[in-house]
Amino acid sequence: MHIAEGFLPPLHAAGWTAAALPFVIVSAWRVNRLMRDQPQTKLLLAAAGAFAFVISALKLPSVTGSCSHATGTGLGAILFGPAVMALLGTIVLVFQALLLAHGGITTLGANVFSMAIVGPWIAYGVLRGAQGLNAPLAVSVFLAAMLGDLATYTMTAGQLALAFPDPASGIAGSFVKFLSVFAPTQLPLAVVEGLLTVVIVNFLREYSGDELQILKFPSPTVAVEARS
Amino acid sequence: MRAIDHHAWTNRWRGWHPAEKLLPAGSLLILTLVLPPLTTAPLVLAGMALATVRGAGVPLKALLSVLAAPAAFLLAGVPFLAVSVDFAEGVNLHLSADGLRLALTTTVRALAAMSCLAFLILTTPLTDWITPLRRIGVPAGVIELILLIYRLIFVFFERALTGHQAQTARLGYSRVDRSVRSLGLLVSNLFQRALEQARRLEIGLMARGYTGELRVLAPKRVLSWPRLATGLGLVGLVGAASDLLARGLS
Repeated sequence: MHIAEGFLPPLHAAGWTAAALPFVIVSAWRVNRLMRDQPQTKLLLAAAGAFAFVISALKLPSVTGSCSHATGTGLGAILFGPAVMALLGTIVLVFQALLLAHGGITTLGANVFSMAIVGPWIAYGVLRGAQGLNAPLAVSVFLAAMLGDLATYTMTAGQLALAFPDPASGIAGSFVKFLSVFAPTQLPLAVVEGLLTVVIVNFLREYSGDELQILKFPSPTVAVEARS
Repeated sequence: MRAIDHHAWTNRWRGWHPAEKLLPAGSLLILTLVLPPLTTAPLVLAGMALATVRGAGVPLKALLSVLAAPAAFLLAGVPFLAVSVDFAEGVNLHLSADGLRLALTTTVRALAAMSCLAFLILTTPLTDWITPLRRIGVPAGVIELILLIYRLIFVFFERALTGHQAQTARLGYSRVDRSVRSLGLLVSNLFQRALEQARRLEIGLMARGYTGELRVLAPKRVLSWPRLATGLGLVGLVGAASDLLARGLS
């Protein structure tokens, strides 16, 4: 859910940009070093970025009738890890603003913060946590993708609430308001995205064990299983 | 997506130095955000629409379709700026004059800002944005990553479209559960092919002496100071006019 260009007041737009900047710079520095040490990762990352953009442009099967798109945040975090996702997500968001007019330049910082930083970190944390509890892979992938999606949506609602506090009930009231406005589309979307990510990861385990190994897929046992 | 990219490459102002478009439109975007929206936004919207359609020769239809992109977001979000909620005694919804004004100013500000973005993306191809990025010190490796992604997006997009058509023709999207499965297959197939493409590209480049840097010729553009000055002057004029209007109204 991209915050539209010009929707946030100037101070908030600047504030979220400042908040997102350190994450993106650290990520850019790490990715740059990775690409210098191992040149072959550059093309892999380029393919991943283009892939993330294209799946975000695919329409998801919608339950409530509204048009909704996959975010790919959870899948990206599961496959590449959140440190890389901050830069890749930022590049994808810039492309979405410039090629699809989704989101914008002034709201880029806010969108990066919710979609390329908070979402991937939550998804990755949930995946790691669920794997630590020995949950089946399908369950942990589903939870990671779904909760990553929900975290993104909650963050966006929070950003809007901070920018537009309710005159009567303040920021808390506004937060509840924005959460409930977007819930009818975002809740089913998160479930669908979770299911979709499970289908994708299952397919990849079955047919692309080698690729998963290149990516150092977060659970070594999974990659080994897939190879055998 | 292709429509925007198409106009960016074929409009009348395509050959201009990117700074001549980026600086005026960028400063107008900042003006839109900081000046009172009710007087500034209509001027900005009109000015940018004129520049896009009359100046750069982009069809009005293309401009309108870009402006409509955030419409869904505005439609869902704006009404709730006008309505205020009170939890003091149960849930209590009411409309307030302040809320209505906030909703109105936010809508016109977002539309005006969108028109600046629309002007930029419809007149400036993506590769022209790279030079300013280099200026602000983005590492060369990251810039190359951006250019590679730009190229691959169109390759993958075509593949996704073909796959989607083939699945639709085989009733892959006739039910919700089938849609999830079909989309999952499509996406994972795409991913597998993307990795394969990356590997092939890498082998091909290695064979041609790739050392981690792709060198390409960039067309040389001369910055036209008169054009830049005119653009910035017009932006100043819009700012002054909206200031006068605001004072006249208050």
